[in-house]
Amino acid sequence: MSITYLEAIREAQARALGENPNVYIYGQDVGDFGGAFKATKGLAAQFPGRVIDAPISEDAIVGSAIGAAIQGMRPIIEMQFADFSTVGLNQIVNQAATYYWRTNVPCPITIRLPCGGTSGSGPFHSQSLEAVYAHFPGLVVLTPATVEDAYSMLLDAVAIDDPVIFCEHKFLYYHLKAEKLPTGALPVGKARIARAGRDLTLVTYSAMLHESLAAAEELATQGYQVEIVDLRSIKPLDTDTVMASVARTGRLLCVGEAWPWGGVTAEVIARVVSEGFDLLDAPPQRLNAKDTPIPFHPRLWAAHRPTAQSITAAARNVLNY
Amino acid sequence: MQRLVEAVPPAAVTGGPNDPVLRPSALDPSQLRLAYRWVLLARLLDDKTAALYRSGLVPGGAFLSKGQEALSVSLAMQLQPGDIYAPLIRDTAGRLAFGETIQDALRSCIGSPLGPMRGRDGNVHRGRPKDGYLPMISHLGAIPSVVNGALIARRLQGKPMGIGATCIGDGGTSTGAFHEAMNQAAVERLPLVMVVADNQYAYSTHRSRQFACDSLLDRAVGYGVDGHAVDGTDLAACMQVMDRAARRAREGCGPQLIVANLLRLCGHGEHDDASYVDPALKESHVGRDCVKAAADWLIAHGMAAPGELSKMQTDVSAELEKAVDEILRDPAPDPNVEKWTALATAALRENAS
Amino acid sequence: MPQLGESIAEATVISWLVKVGDTVTAGQEVMEVETSKATLTVTSSVAGKIKKLIAVEGETYAVGNVLAELTTDTAPAKPAEDKPHFGSGSETTISTPSNTVEPVLQGLPVPVGAAGASYLSPRLKARMAELGLHAADLAGVAGSGANGRVTVEDFEAFVSRLEQNRLTPASSMRIAVADAMRRSWTRPIATVGMPVRLDALLAHRATLNPKPGPALYSLRALALALGENSAPAGRLVGSRIVHPSSIDIGFAVEAEDGVLVPVIREANHKTLRELVTRYNELVTLARERRLPADATGGSIATITNFGTFGLTWATPIPLPEQTLVLGLGAGSKVPCWDEEKKQFVPVMEANLTLSFDHRVMDGGAAGRLLGRVATLMQLPDAL
Repeated sequence: MSITYLEAIREAQARALGENPNVYIYGQDVGDFGGAFKATKGLAAQFPGRVIDAPISEDAIVGSAIGAAIQGMRPIIEMQFADFSTVGLNQIVNQAATYYWRTNVPCPITIRLPCGGTSGSGPFHSQSLEAVYAHFPGLVVLTPATVEDAYSMLLDAVAIDDPVIFCEHKFLYYHLKAEKLPTGALPVGKARIARAGRDLTLVTYSAMLHESLAAAEELATQGYQVEIVDLRSIKPLDTDTVMASVARTGRLLCVGEAWPWGGVTAEVIARVVSEGFDLLDAPPQRLNAKDTPIPFHPRLWAAHRPTAQSITAAARNVLNY
Repeated sequence: MQRLVEAVPPAAVTGGPNDPVLRPSALDPSQLRLAYRWVLLARLLDDKTAALYRSGLVPGGAFLSKGQEALSVSLAMQLQPGDIYAPLIRDTAGRLAFGETIQDALRSCIGSPLGPMRGRDGNVHRGRPKDGYLPMISHLGAIPSVVNGALIARRLQGKPMGIGATCIGDGGTSTGAFHEAMNQAAVERLPLVMVVADNQYAYSTHRSRQFACDSLLDRAVGYGVDGHAVDGTDLAACMQVMDRAARRAREGCGPQLIVANLLRLCGHGEHDDASYVDPALKESHVGRDCVKAAADWLIAHGMAAPGELSKMQTDVSAELEKAVDEILRDPAPDPNVEKWTALATAALRENAS
Repeated sequence: MPQLGESIAEATVISWLVKVGDTVTAGQEVMEVETSKATLTVTSSVAGKIKKLIAVEGETYAVGNVLAELTTDTAPAKPAEDKPHFGSGSETTISTPSNTVEPVLQGLPVPVGAAGASYLSPRLKARMAELGLHAADLAGVAGSGANGRVTVEDFEAFVSRLEQNRLTPASSMRIAVADAMRRSWTRPIATVGMPVRLDALLAHRATLNPKPGPALYSLRALALALGENSAPAGRLVGSRIVHPSSIDIGFAVEAEDGVLVPVIREANHKTLRELVTRYNELVTLARERRLPADATGGSIATITNFGTFGLTWATPIPLPEQTLVLGLGAGSKVPCWDEEKKQFVPVMEANLTLSFDHRVMDGGAAGRLLGRVATLMQLPDAL
């Protein structure tokens, strides 16, 4: 038996619906159709009345989830694409994110963002918006990179008393498979050493973990042992695990699929430089998508985001410094 | 199902026995006197808030409800325990009628740590969600969908739905969020009572620059919801229309859109002298003072004696002064004891101090 | 198998709509497939004749798999490469290996070009600070890093090699001098020199009791010269010159394992005779390491009499807080052409050197100051 990243997300939602009567799913096409990516396939039939089709109204979708959450519900919102969540941005960042701080009443919402690029998806179906949401106080931002994390962290997200932005990567939906669902997991907020090494700390998350692992394989053939930190959670950010790794290696490369400006990679580097300057043997570097909208054509797209090759080249530069 | 869309001309509202919809005789005098007490207290509280603002005790701004008291109180007085109430900027009267204390109102204005918002937010951005009293945010149109969600929650939980009541201005109806929420409420057929206070201006912009339909009531047809028009300066008319709208919502008739005509009798905030308001409007029917009109109406219809109303004013003033004395002794928020975290989940706080 | 939807990785063949030998047109539906999202038909991208059906009904094929072969007269349109597995060989902009990291944002320089043996990483600096070492201590370490850079590994190897030698602690005096010299050496120091005849000075000295040494003559001469024009003793701080407020001159005295510099205040306002006793007293106090506070620090130039070691030439380094150090070499009898006598005559001569911060002045100004000092030394009565 094997299970894909997407199936893990479906299974996690099925389990959450089954275990907690206050959980419901609300989003466009999530009902009988089972979602644009089939992440809710069969759930409407299995849980009648609790997997609800929404009008194309991202603002009202999130707004109503806030109202339900403060009444004790645990809504799971599916944004059809992360890109469309900006239409509901106001409710997410100004209402949901501020709710607990303003009123002392928790606002537990899980907002699933199918994010990241896939071939041919173009500027409005490819975005990675974790940095946008991490910027706003009051949100938890999760970026699972493995089938196991997709499952366990989605269950965590539903259990968390705060609004959670759950960034699930579309490229991993079908391409990533595991033998079985996990029985245990690291807690939210802890990063994971995805590969141990002594020469370079490579901090990454989401789909870029797999490009980075491929780069590390290539670098190993050249004699470099790269340590890879999978952040898992963007906010909170596990600075301790990153810093401990940099203390071992003295070198840091951060890789993210999102745009560079004010992004997660910049945040990681800022923390390491300000709190761990004396650990560094070389200026930390980051590798991100190019600072343009995401291109449609597969050839342009492949050059727009970091790949195993460009990560290998960037890593070699840091290693050779 | 047949949708109810009623446009009641002001003349008929204020008129008399021939109005098929509004009959003074159908009104409960004790409820009207109670409503009057709330609008009176709201007006005096507004005056007090303005005075505190001008003396430097109210940070930020002071946003008054003058001219909207009758409409506001009429909605809140329809609400029962368990209902959801999400007022907007000019709902001082409704907030008091729903159960907010004078102290809560004033403490929010001065940013007291003893108030419901504890100095983290202020003025009209106040509420107590656990009591079904939802705090607004500044982004207009953002609240109605939250009310929808609270109602959806009850449906999912199998609890009594109650009704959800909220208010918006003529300008707020121009937002996409308002449209999304109305449409959502209609699709889900929620007991949402949406009051539009068409007070002629959104800040300085006249309603003619906000929408091109003759009346916002036209939108009820588009959303597929019940619509009601009312003279927002007429307390008795507002009480009757709200009673009917709330009843229909409770009976499962879906969302109710009430459009009230009135004029804001103050600036957008106390920093605004409202010099852009057409003087002719102030002299017209829509510009009359709803509090004074209510007093006149109560006396004219034999529902209150003049002496009774002046005693009410004395009592309310005393109650207000007592509350002011109390809250002015409040400490200021202390940055050193403030919990600088936005997360409810302690384990996920990065920078709790 | 074409990409049949957002993030679709594979599709299952339901049925073929064509068979081997069929002629198909471009755009003709050839098979029915099912993805996780929908049931769809796949069309042929070119016109031709079906040669072979590879895909089997009921089986699932990944995007990019070959489903059938067909013969065609025209070259097929090349599909965009999109291999869906990680680290695949799809095109990227990283075409040539480069030693510089491409900035992710244009216009933001990446300091990778700042290479060189003088570079010490923050980590290396932290480790050196921990051990109390300075960059100068690493002068003898050959770096194995990029561009000859000393890496932490090089450093640790160097430190462990040191342990194999006999190691003794340096005296506090040695450490203090080392620190002062290291700080001073951060500036561009230049030295100029010229011979000065000492005959008149020595004759003058013989008439006095107690007798001043040649160094005191040079000290007094320097004090007078700087009294006339103190600009050369100014210090450059940022974009401004800090002028001396008083002509206080120090002189180097060798003490155990180091050098001390007693100071004579306002040396331009006291005659040579007045200075002799104080000078001798300070030499004694310095050797006994008992210099009073008012005789140390705050001087604007220093005299060093390296001639006492038999040296004729040296390039002393000014103290870090000073711009100037005047050096006096050992005197010796040299032949000098006498124009009147038309013959060489023996004269007593010594080299006078002036080391200075080249940021403050140039060789010409240094030469003029040194010439004035030499002239004054040859007019001892004026001192």
